[in-house]
Amino acid sequence: MRKIIYLLLLMVSAIHAQTKMTNTEASLLKEKVKSQAEKTNTISSNFVQYKHLDFLSNDIVTSGNLAFKNPDLVKWEYVKPFVYSVIFKNENLYINDEGKKSDVNLSSSKLFKQLNKLIVNSVKGDMFDEKEFEIAYFKKEATSEVHFRPINKKISKYIKAFHIQFNAQGDVVEIKMIEPSDDYTRIVFSNRTINKPLSDAIFAH
Amino acid sequence: MRYLLISLLFLLAGCASYQQRNNFEIQEVSDEGITNSYFSDVVKDYVYKAKIDVYGKSFGGLFIVKKIAEAHHRVVFTTEMGAKIFDFSFHKDEFKVNYILDEMDKKILLNILERDFRVLVRENEKAISKSIKDNSELFETEIVNKKYYYLINGGRLNKIVRVNNGKEKVVFLFSKISDATAKNIQILHKNIKLAINLKSIN
Repeated sequence: MRKIIYLLLLMVSAIHAQTKMTNTEASLLKEKVKSQAEKTNTISSNFVQYKHLDFLSNDIVTSGNLAFKNPDLVKWEYVKPFVYSVIFKNENLYINDEGKKSDVNLSSSKLFKQLNKLIVNSVKGDMFDEKEFEIAYFKKEATSEVHFRPINKKISKYIKAFHIQFNAQGDVVEIKMIEPSDDYTRIVFSNRTINKPLSDAIFAH
Repeated sequence: MRYLLISLLFLLAGCASYQQRNNFEIQEVSDEGITNSYFSDVVKDYVYKAKIDVYGKSFGGLFIVKKIAEAHHRVVFTTEMGAKIFDFSFHKDEFKVNYILDEMDKKILLNILERDFRVLVRENEKAISKSIKDNSELFETEIVNKKYYYLINGGRLNKIVRVNNGKEKVVFLFSKISDATAKNIQILHKNIKLAINLKSIN
């Protein structure tokens, strides 16, 4: 009987290979990410997106490139299996859907503006606002993982939590956006380059 | 008198069935089954890049269909970035909304989507009549009180049409068919400005 309990305990700890950070570790990470974000003028990166829906046999995999320019320009571009890009610029979304261009003005919707800001901030990882999120810090081998649960009910209706993984330098390596249904979108970054000059043409519609 | 004749003729023409209007020859009443096998594989995830044009506005996303079990499908629409817009279940004649964005939660819209996607994913229907023209077969059936025609060319389902008073109301077109999957699907409404375009991406 005791063996079974040990075995069960082992299994449980194997599943939760992440441990909670101490307060000191958490504030160290926070400082690191914040100072890294402050030093960041541009980010360019490749990404692979995994859309997980519980009833599907496989996640839907799409991939492309991300470009960020301080303070709030983001271009999110899918290359495979379709060509689609969206530029977050001022209070607009500029969409290019396989050559067909359109734009959406968000200024009339406070909610969409907030969601938009969240996406932009999550790219840098700097979301340590305790008025907006319930925040939990974890260690996971060489990386750190921070869970941000939106407090605002209007936002938590769409996103239950952001799980952001940071590498040892404090750069974002993975973002997981979890829906209230527990379906999620996981984005894994690679070839992430900081402060490489990015021309404005990249963000032109 | 002449006017009466002309209007009678018009009336008769108006009564011509969908089959007759399209020069199909009606066969005897048949109890043959009709099969739409484009969403029939439980192992497969059906993922389409979708473009929806509605009253001059155009938006895109991912359209996902999964067969859960016999006569049971999940139909989900998300943005390209993965945010869910709607999530429906079809189980036999039952329809359940698992999720829909508040902005889209309107009865009229839901009724249209329910009717369209029910027909899209349904696999087996019983034919009320069968008619033929050259290589094509046209089967008449009824799904939840609406009349539909299934056009089969050389053994392949190419078109489903919802018909009211002999007129096309909604047309489903299946093309680029390979491995029992329709790589291109169009759902075109004739009486409202709504067109759904699906392109398979997996």
